[in-house]
Amino acid sequence: MRSGTVHALVGENGAGKSTLMKILYGMQKPDEGTIAVNGEQVSFGDPGDAIARGIGMVHQHFMLADNLTVLENVVLGSEKLHGIGGRARARIKEISDSYGLGVRPDVLIEDLGVADRQRVEILKVLYRGARILILDEPTAVLVPQEVDALFDNLRELKAEGLTVIFISHKLGEVLSVADEITVIRRGTTVGNADPKSTTTKQLAELMVGSELPSPETRESTVTTQAMLTVQALRMAEVDLDGVERVVLDDIDFTIHKGEVLGIAGVEGNGQAELVEAIMGMRVPDGGTVVLDGQDISQDPTRKRREDGIGYIPEDRHRHGLLLEAPLWENRILGHVTERPNSKGFLIDTAAARRDTERIVREYDVRTPGIEVTAASLSGGNQQKLIVGREMSHLPKLLIAAHPTRGVDVGAQAQIWDQIREARREGLAVLLISADLDELIGLSDTLRVMYRGRLVADADPATITPEELGSAMTGAASGHLEHDRDPAAAAATVGSEDTDGSATSGGEDR
Amino acid sequence: MKKFDKDRLILGIAAPVLAVVGALIVTALVIVATGKEPFTAFHVMINYGDKTDSQVYILNKATTYYLAGLAVAVGFRMNLFNIGVDGQYRLAAFFAAAAGGAVSLPGIIQIPLVIVTAMVVGAVWAAIAGVLKVTRGVSEVISTIMLNSIAGIVIGYFLQGGRLGVLDKSANMVSTKPLPSSGHLFNFNTTGGPVDGFIVLAVIAGLVYWYGLSRTRFGFDLRAVGRSQSAAEASGVSVKRMVITSMLISGAMAGLVGMPTLLNESYDYGTDFPVGIGFTGIAVALLGRNNPIGVAVGAVLWAFLERASNGLEFEGYDKEIVGVIQGVIVLAVVIAYEVVRRYGITRQQRQVGAELAAAGTKEKQEVAA
Amino acid sequence: MAFDVGGRGDHSFNDSAARGMDKADKEFNIGHKEQTASNGETESDREQRLDLLAGAGYNPVIAVGFTYGDAVKKIAAKYPKTTFGIVDSVVDSSNVDSMVFSTEQSSYLAGVAAALKSKTGKVGFIGGVHNTLIGTFQAGFDQGVKDTKPSDTVTDQYLYETDTKGFNDPTSAQGKAQGMLDNGVDVIYTAAGLSGDGSIQAVAGKSGAWAIGVDSDQYQDAALAKYKNSILTSAVKNVDVAVYDLIKSVHDGKAKTGTNAYDLKTGGVSLATSGGFLTDIQSQIDAAKAKIVSGQIKVKSTP
Repeated sequence: MRSGTVHALVGENGAGKSTLMKILYGMQKPDEGTIAVNGEQVSFGDPGDAIARGIGMVHQHFMLADNLTVLENVVLGSEKLHGIGGRARARIKEISDSYGLGVRPDVLIEDLGVADRQRVEILKVLYRGARILILDEPTAVLVPQEVDALFDNLRELKAEGLTVIFISHKLGEVLSVADEITVIRRGTTVGNADPKSTTTKQLAELMVGSELPSPETRESTVTTQAMLTVQALRMAEVDLDGVERVVLDDIDFTIHKGEVLGIAGVEGNGQAELVEAIMGMRVPDGGTVVLDGQDISQDPTRKRREDGIGYIPEDRHRHGLLLEAPLWENRILGHVTERPNSKGFLIDTAAARRDTERIVREYDVRTPGIEVTAASLSGGNQQKLIVGREMSHLPKLLIAAHPTRGVDVGAQAQIWDQIREARREGLAVLLISADLDELIGLSDTLRVMYRGRLVADADPATITPEELGSAMTGAASGHLEHDRDPAAAAATVGSEDTDGSATSGGEDR
Repeated sequence: MKKFDKDRLILGIAAPVLAVVGALIVTALVIVATGKEPFTAFHVMINYGDKTDSQVYILNKATTYYLAGLAVAVGFRMNLFNIGVDGQYRLAAFFAAAAGGAVSLPGIIQIPLVIVTAMVVGAVWAAIAGVLKVTRGVSEVISTIMLNSIAGIVIGYFLQGGRLGVLDKSANMVSTKPLPSSGHLFNFNTTGGPVDGFIVLAVIAGLVYWYGLSRTRFGFDLRAVGRSQSAAEASGVSVKRMVITSMLISGAMAGLVGMPTLLNESYDYGTDFPVGIGFTGIAVALLGRNNPIGVAVGAVLWAFLERASNGLEFEGYDKEIVGVIQGVIVLAVVIAYEVVRRYGITRQQRQVGAELAAAGTKEKQEVAA
Repeated sequence: MAFDVGGRGDHSFNDSAARGMDKADKEFNIGHKEQTASNGETESDREQRLDLLAGAGYNPVIAVGFTYGDAVKKIAAKYPKTTFGIVDSVVDSSNVDSMVFSTEQSSYLAGVAAALKSKTGKVGFIGGVHNTLIGTFQAGFDQGVKDTKPSDTVTDQYLYETDTKGFNDPTSAQGKAQGMLDNGVDVIYTAAGLSGDGSIQAVAGKSGAWAIGVDSDQYQDAALAKYKNSILTSAVKNVDVAVYDLIKSVHDGKAKTGTNAYDLKTGGVSLATSGGFLTDIQSQIDAAKAKIVSGQIKVKSTP
């Protein structure tokens, strides 16, 4: 890649993107092959070597200490560069100004939003003298407006002669920001593309050799039979400073058989708590949860799962898998009391193994066998295993939190197909996603969550991602009407109050 | 698939072997530093540990260590560090001895009574730490250490003449009232001396441990909590209840630790009842990777080393050398497991990658054809 | 020789036994073997140890400490031709020499010295474990104090009720001694094996206070040299004498067996005079000793 460009790296999950990046950043060693920086052949023993060569990495999951200031986070570990006081502050200001990052050095990280944190991460690597930046899926956590702002920053960096390696699944974004694109598949480069003359469709075909899947739901299967009814759900949480914060505020909604209810929102606005309250993993302060006519508010998690809730967790490593256990044990996880996993009080290992083989086959989990640990699979294949497991128990309600996050295009289409198919057979789905195309394409009904409330609703047939994005930042509420002019849509404050949630966008935290 | 299993077995054995070899090298250096010759020392240890009466001694010691190792391993399997096995077994053995000495029933009732009393006392004592953990968030490491000390004081209070203790004839030792002969468990008589009959129960305990953990729903839940508490919680396991249950089981298992000594050797709990076996159990469980067969190997190795220390002292070596070996083994085990674990993960990832790549090439060739 | 926990180097009765063996070894040039007990042993460990020594042909086999009682009885029966010795316990077998010490007599003299040297009229006793053996020390000491100065008060404390850790826990003894000193006690007699070091250390920290050692002449102990000017005297239990006697008897072909009491009369127990701190009261101590030897004073062995 040439200096002063944004170079996008795209490929399916498991294609080797992460491995490649790890090698470039010195976290892993290549078996063979060479890397040259500015014409000079290099080899990295650890990230320190890479940093010394001017390579910096902005990880998908931010590596920041919440209770420290921006300044402290930036100088942490590189105190030798410009000290920890005035000189460091001046240097941060200088970098921030020259690239238009708008970072204030003395603010606590915990007071910053996701986009601001990301800019701190970028500043951190620039501070360490990086001339080549690797950004791993930087847009996954951002709303469209923030994505645009990030791209402006990247263009700024490029103008200053820096090189950016940009990893993303979102092909539209790749085309809009990249100067050059490299596509890799199964560990090898399969092609280069010029963003000026390439469409997303062509790019996708290059990646998977098949058409770009569409999340669009064609026919409606929504029935009038309520499957999940959540009423007046409230939850408050006391944070470390002893301040009580309402995380779920009077949540009401109903999902019918055959309906997909999508919840849009910037992460951290109560979606995770909502899911955990419905799963029984957290005890709400008030409200009821009724599944298929049966009040399950007091039931433990296991009972709820037995009663037919399938769960695709947001963080599969934390909540969906036993990373160090073999695949067949992961197939049992969450369904240990159900057939074919157990008979009475005993685990039926033979049946569980057989069924794991079936899931691996039917859901195209790419693995050499079912005895390997879950950790050795790529993210997309882990997700396919989870989806296969949850679908195998014919759930009544599927809670899908970011079901295709970090999953390649091929697997994404497959997961969408699975959800659609089950929905035709009467499955109710609660879909939470940061991918607005996915939300709009898959949902029958859309709600927007902001600071613990469901503040707005929208019709997925007419709404655009930009309009939804405004509501997610709290700029709009009520019923979102589609308007040709996005600015007007953002300003629309609906008077309809269908679910009883108050319309407010400006309350303090 | 078979190949995978074999590799895993080799990886599983690699760590303890690496640890023992590492410990031997360090020990050899220590012996050299004391100005003696290491190979003779190892020769003495092996020769001495190999005699018939040594074998009996090792089996009897190992029986006790094995039970202690299992008790600790139950906790380890779900990331609970039950340091309290020591206090649990002593308190359990003490009250079991007191109960057994107080009544005289036919052996078929007497012996189970003693064993059950021990298991209940051990379980209750361990459960205190479990309850504190789930209700008050007290780390079980801290609470079990404290409970060890409290157990010692409780025993000290009751083990006095006039309370639950009986003074011996010269009155320098206090013990509980001896078990009636119906409370004596059978022994296997060999030329090297009697082998404790309790070894049979230890084997059964090992089988129950294996079966319970690997074949039952409960065992699956327990292991799930150990591997990832958050994933287990999401899967529907009540982690709090699991903490208490596993402490109960660990404590009940700890209750058995004192039984070979009580039912096969001393027949009473006195001031000379062995202490500190709970800590040996931690080392044995670490050495055996919480695997029932591994723990057995660890227990036998530990007993062998203790036996060998007598031989060393007899030949004029410092018996502390065995302490050095044991300490270094534990240290080496921790390091070796981590090294082997990392190697295993990298290796497996590489294998998965390689197989997928191979599958990919095949696919391509098919397309080409 | 099978030592008790602590073994050679405990500054106390294990060391004393070792001295006796070393002396005999040197004199008769016979060679010896030592084995030491460790914490957390079972009965079978002790049996194995004696068995090992006897089986290797060592004669006599001497077990130091009452915990060996049962083991000696069992192994002595297995090797009838070997002579066994046991310190501080009585084993009723034909080939066993049971060496018991009238420590209440030496403790009585320690009590006399304490009463005469105390300025506050308050003296203290610290026992390692509250058992019969240590009770004899307390009984003698209490009686010696009361017979000398009836108005003096004696504080008697034990480190542990039953746990033999009491002989191996100097920190705990140090705490107990400090507590006594804070209450005005200025002479402390500690009968607690190695734990006594802690008590002596505490006493040395207070000027004018005296410590009384036990078992060996602790004034002579190199490890305690720093504190020796606070060690008034020691109630010496001459285990070395008994051990030497036994080895000599076996060497001479007239093995000593049965219960052999070592008391003031035979020199088996005594009160040390090293340091010369007793010079001014030596006559009173000698008088008390004479009365015990003549039987005029009967020292109780239980408190």
